[in-house]
Amino acid sequence: MSAPAEMDLPPRPVSAPERRAAAPRWQQLRLVAMKEFADRLQHGWVLACSLVWLGAIALTSLFGLVQIGSIGIQGYERTTASLLSLVQYIVPLLGLLLGHDLIVSEREDKTLALALSGGLSRRKLLGGKFLGGALALAVPLVLGFVVAGALIGLAARDTEVTPFLKLAGSGLLLGLVFLGIGLLLSTLSRTRVQALVLALLAWCAAVFVFDLAAMGTMLVARGGAAAREVEIVTDATHVASAADLHAAYESGDDAAARAAARTRERPVDYWLWINPLDAFRALNLPRELAIHSGWAGLLLSGGAWLILSLTGAAWRLQRLDL
Amino acid sequence: MSPLRFTALEKRYGAVRALDGVSLAVEPGGILALLGPNGAGKSTLFGCLLGLTRPTGGRIELRGRAVGDADRLGWGYLAERIALYPQRTVWQNGLFFAGLKHHPAAEFERQLERVGLAAGRDRPVRQLSKGMLQRLGLAIALCGAPELLILDEPFNGLDPKLLGRLQAILREEHRRGATLLISTHTISAIEPLATEVAVLLEGRLAAAGRLGELRARFGGGGLEAAYHQIALGSPGSGEIPPAMVA
Repeated sequence: MSAPAEMDLPPRPVSAPERRAAAPRWQQLRLVAMKEFADRLQHGWVLACSLVWLGAIALTSLFGLVQIGSIGIQGYERTTASLLSLVQYIVPLLGLLLGHDLIVSEREDKTLALALSGGLSRRKLLGGKFLGGALALAVPLVLGFVVAGALIGLAARDTEVTPFLKLAGSGLLLGLVFLGIGLLLSTLSRTRVQALVLALLAWCAAVFVFDLAAMGTMLVARGGAAAREVEIVTDATHVASAADLHAAYESGDDAAARAAARTRERPVDYWLWINPLDAFRALNLPRELAIHSGWAGLLLSGGAWLILSLTGAAWRLQRLDL
Repeated sequence: MSPLRFTALEKRYGAVRALDGVSLAVEPGGILALLGPNGAGKSTLFGCLLGLTRPTGGRIELRGRAVGDADRLGWGYLAERIALYPQRTVWQNGLFFAGLKHHPAAEFERQLERVGLAAGRDRPVRQLSKGMLQRLGLAIALCGAPELLILDEPFNGLDPKLLGRLQAILREEHRRGATLLISTHTISAIEPLATEVAVLLEGRLAAAGRLGELRARFGGGGLEAAYHQIALGSPGSGEIPPAMVA
């Protein structure tokens, strides 16, 4: 350290209220969010996710019909059906993996203490963490959907982009819901490892356990026909599911048959909305399967889970001793 | 600044009382040396003050109001174990933490120069020595001319040159009018600075008062001797004067 000079004395203190009044209102929130996103960018998460996601969409579009004996770039509707299972497995996992260490890692490393000791409220910290995580999730997903979507449109000369856009929008929402759940698990955990285990258990519960339980319940309560409907929505067993979906298109190739199928449409069992993953799947199922669920299911289910998760995380974070 | 006042502050971890009814007033513009053996509750007291630890009882007030996040914007804190983002550079860390308190980059740059770390601004924090890390933590804490500086064991592991520089900076801050709360085991380093002393033992305030008064009460020797009589009950020390216990 160099020798001090009297002239170096700090100026008259600017009071905290004066500084706060002069600072942009959302500065703390923005700083935390941008730091979180910059960290993911620096660690290669954003680039890796973008490449994986782009490749997954392109390959699914190219090979999605292999199970029914066809190879080639599909149009938007068929690509959507092929991508459905991939999105419902991968996107919640990405959300949970991003969210699970947002708080616990900084708690373990003790960096939270310095941030919170300087007047950053715990609610703003949580908000910033969620926004930063959301950005790190959204950028690769949107990039993948936009680039792959443009390529599919050009290669397949398809302009019926609505199902694909619906899949992209609902997939993004699904990711945010599981990011929120991951954030909650992060505040509940004492170590990174504990948070990771909880995140993987949550993923298994959403993807497998709930659906198997739902099918079992339906089978007991309403018989085999009902269970078949649930299987289509929940895709619990994953056996030939993509082939099933594409078979629906094949059998409904004829316009009259498609129209007839749509007249048989009935709403999905509402209690399946407990699981946002099933609400997502029901929203994106081909209409030819005659089971439908609008945006309301996903918005209600996803919104409720997101609010519950963030509220729970905020409650827990307020009570943490650092 | 009106006195910073701790009233019947209590923190329990199950059956363990980390703080047991601590009442203490810190006069504005003073340097309070918080002394006590390991586990006495010094860091817990700071944690409660900084909003990192939730007290299970009691109050902390500044200007007659409960301390909140808005007050902490005007404080500086140097932790015992400085935890920063190791993969980020000195500059990036400083901008982030100073930015959280609405300080401009120029202010952090000024403090970085003041602690003599301007040349290392582009180095990742993981490459810093303990002394450099200490200086970076201090630069962050000093940003914005804080009205209250809270330093947890700031003298640990410093070589004599760095120790002297740190003492000089703390004197500058004192002359500027800042209030300093310093917990330490290095009594020889705090004695030339302190205006007030408080001693914590097993979560209780064992003694508190002006440095001169405390030394006079305990035989007119140095602070170290007074502390040992309070903390260890050396022969001949007698009881702690009730007037010094809040």
